[in-house]
Formats: sequence, C-alpha cells, structure tokens
Amino acid sequence: MEGKELGLWRSSVIGAIGLLVFLSIWEVLVRTNVIDPFFLPAPTQVIDKAIQMTADRDAVLLTDIKISATRVLTGFLLSVLVGVPAGLIMGMNPVIRAAINPIISIIRPLPALSWIPLSMLWLGIDEQQKYAIVFMGSFASILVYTTDATMRVDPTLRRAAMNLGASPLQILRYVILPGALPDLLTGLKVVLAIAWTCVISAEMVGANSGLGFRIWTAKEWSDTGQVLVGMISISVTVLVLDILFRGLERVLLPYQRKTSGT
Amino acid sequence: MSEALIKFDNITKRFSLRKGDIVAVKDFSLEIKKGEILTIVGASGCGKTTLLNMVAGFLTPSSGNILLDGQPITKIEPRCGMIFQNYALFPWLSVRKNVEFGPKINGVSKKVRREESARYIEMVGLKGFEDAYPGELSGGMRQRTALCRVLANKPDILLCDEPFAALDAMTRQIMQQELLRIVNESGQTVLFITHSIDEALILSDKIVVMSVRPGTVKDIYDIELPHPGKVEVQLTDEYLKLKRQIWAMVEEEVKASMKIVSS
Repeated sequence: MEGKELGLWRSSVIGAIGLLVFLSIWEVLVRTNVIDPFFLPAPTQVIDKAIQMTADRDAVLLTDIKISATRVLTGFLLSVLVGVPAGLIMGMNPVIRAAINPIISIIRPLPALSWIPLSMLWLGIDEQQKYAIVFMGSFASILVYTTDATMRVDPTLRRAAMNLGASPLQILRYVILPGALPDLLTGLKVVLAIAWTCVISAEMVGANSGLGFRIWTAKEWSDTGQVLVGMISISVTVLVLDILFRGLERVLLPYQRKTSGT
Repeated sequence: MSEALIKFDNITKRFSLRKGDIVAVKDFSLEIKKGEILTIVGASGCGKTTLLNMVAGFLTPSSGNILLDGQPITKIEPRCGMIFQNYALFPWLSVRKNVEFGPKINGVSKKVRREESARYIEMVGLKGFEDAYPGELSGGMRQRTALCRVLANKPDILLCDEPFAALDAMTRQIMQQELLRIVNESGQTVLFITHSIDEALILSDKIVVMSVRPGTVKDIYDIELPHPGKVEVQLTDEYLKLKRQIWAMVEEEVKASMKIVSS
C-alpha cells in the first residue's frame, strides 16, 4: 500500500472527508467556547462573512480579488516577458551566464517586502508600484528556472538537429524551446504562487484596495472574520490559477500525458 | 564509380586534457566508396566515435583532412546523417514530425514533406505509428524512427554509432536485417561502428579493425560472403574463419587497451 497512488476519485473523496473532519472539529471548538470566536470565528461564521462581503452593494470581496489578481498577473507577465528570453540566452551562452549570475545571486534572495521602501519612493503607491513589487519578487526566480530548464535540454538533441541542418535560430525555436518547456512551466507555476505573496505584502503596507489591504484593515477593526475570508480567498485564487496552469500544461505538452514514465 | 565518397587523409586527432594531450586517432587513412557498407570494429577507447564525429563535423581533425566528394569537411555536415546510439529523437514530436524535421528545416514544402515521410515511414515498417510519440515506442521502433528521420534528409552517407547496442539481442538481429534491406533498396553508403564482430560480418562489404589508442587502421577485410544477412551464413566455415581471424586481431587490441588502463 505505502507509496502507492490512490487514483483521482478515491483520493478526492478521502481528501474531502479529511477537510470536513478538520472543519467540524474547528466548528465544535468555537461553538463550545473552547476557542473565543473573537480570536478565531467558526467556519460557518466565516462563510456568513464571505457571503455578506460578496452580496453587499459593492461586492468588496470580488472587487478585491479582481484587483489583486490583476496586479499579480500584470507583474508576473512582465517578469515572464523579460525573464524567459533572458533565461534562454543565459542557458545557451556560458559567457553571458557567467556575467549575469552574480547579479542574480544578489537579487534572488531578497524578499519582495524588502523592495517596498525603494519602490514606494520611486513609484508612490500607484498600481505601477504593485507591479514593480511582483516583478522584483518573481523576475530572478523566473530567470533562474528558465536558465536551468534550457541547460537541461539533452545536448544530443541539439547535435541531432544540427546534423539535420538546423541553424542556431532554428535550434532555439525547434529544440531548445520545446525541450525546456516542461521544466519551464513547472518553474512558472511555483513563481506564480510566489508572486501572490508579493502582492499581498505590498497591499498590506501601502494600498487602499486589494486582498492584502482588506486583511490589514480588518485587523485594525479586529474583524477576524474578514481576515479569514481574505486569507481563504488568497488560497482559493491560487488554487484556481494552479488548475488553469495545469490545463495549459496539458494543451502545451500533449506528449507527456501519453508517455508518462519515460 | 570507384571514386571515394569519403576519404580520410592521414587524420590525427589530439585532445588537450588537464593531465596532458591524448592522441585519440593517429595517421588514419581510409576510403569509403559510394554504395559501400563499411564497418569499423575496435576495442572501446580506440577512437571510433571520434572518427565518426569528425565525419559529421562535430569535431575537427588536429591534422589531415576528411574529404566528402573531394571537398574537405569543415563544418557540421547534414550530408553525413548520423544515427545515435540513444536515438536522439525529439520527444515532443510525433514519429511523422520527427521524420519531417530535416525536410522542414530545409524548407521542403508541407505537401512534399508529407508524401516523402509517408514513403520512408512505410519503408522502415512504422506505418500506423505516424502519430505516436517516441516515448510510446519500443527501443527497436525508436531506432527505426531515427533511421527514418535521417533517410528523409537524404544524406550522402549514413553514419551509425553503435545504433543497435541498446537493443535486446533479438530486436538487434531484426534491425540488422532491416538496415541491410533498406540500404540495399536505396543504395545508401554506410559507415558503421560497432564492437560486435558478428554485427560487422553480417552488415559489411568491408571491415576495418582499429588498433587501440592512438587509433589507426590495423587491418582491412573485404567481406564476400554470400547473402551475408542470412542467419545460415553465420554457420558456414568461411564465416567462422573470418570471425576467428578478426577476433584474433581485436583480442590483441583489447588486451593492449587493458594494459593501458591498468598502467
């Protein structure tokens, strides 16, 4: 049994049961006043709050999700546009790689939060500043993932392509790009989740909209229900994006589904 | 017609390593005629693969020239089509797209491409598997696809770097027969590398035995076995005599190479 996959259907059912048990215990603990609902409201109270935040006239919750998602996706796409081509070049050219690597090693460990002071000085608290935070938080990782993915493409495939008469540009287009794509998509999926943490942090420090802002202001009013709604919204949005991403992978990598295990 | 298609003109190849230079191939001269199947056998480390990589243009000789149709090979040469031991198929492309890779790169129209790939795919016996991905195929079928991909690019010579070494014994024997059939059908010139004397005897018009490092021509055998592909031939006195002779040559070299390694 151990280490064996359960299959989609069975694992979903077991997963749902696990979640239900967890929520029930939480509900009971709050309802019996073991936990003070002021500090942690019960799941049903959180659901009520979420409904309230969606159903009211301005539908604050949906607006916040949309605003945060737009910020994440804009910053993320900018990172992809710059990071992927740069990573491909770095992966193929050892000289450029050697030149850029030290700079990346300095930027990469910096948490997105540490860019907030500078970015606010430069850009205020406009949308551009949010994009910049997401960009700085995801760019270096995208670059590194792309470089690695490019370097992992089997060199014999390059040779085979050259032997068939491919020019360097054709090798990039027809060998390196498709060859690096599986690892690249895996990397982008990870970075997209990181990009979310960036925007939430940025919104907590200097913003007047978005999920991060909503969570932070709720705290000021001791509205723990709203804090939890905000937090769960982050999880759900990331999950939805993850599912969309998997769909993208299925479309772009049809051969992997048919040949898993090789 | 006796004009050499490939001519190794006194080739030497040196590799500079940290611990000093290694002479992989020294004063190697050989001619391959058009339509000939020539096999080079030798112990591992005798420089056979180095030779092949120089013909393909992946490596340049330290001295001497390799001539293709009288012209020295100076860059990667698509006219010398290489079959790799590990197939080197593009895993994201179907069998058909793999086969059409060369023609596509070289600007052959889609229609012509489709017709030709269909013909070659049928020739190597992969009809019905056009839309399969390499990962769905057995080792033998992958190597057929690789063979097909190179043939569709219409090379002047087929370079085979132990292409059947990763296959099981039975598939290997079938692939040898298939290669012979296809090559006979197309009149393709082949330079084949192996360390299996049986494989060399089954396939070749000519066998070149190489000495160990520095690799050079030790002996050349013209093979005039009747219908060399047939299994029965492998039991004839003539075949066994040749095999014994060649093995004696190779054995010396293998022993010599072991001395190199252990010293």
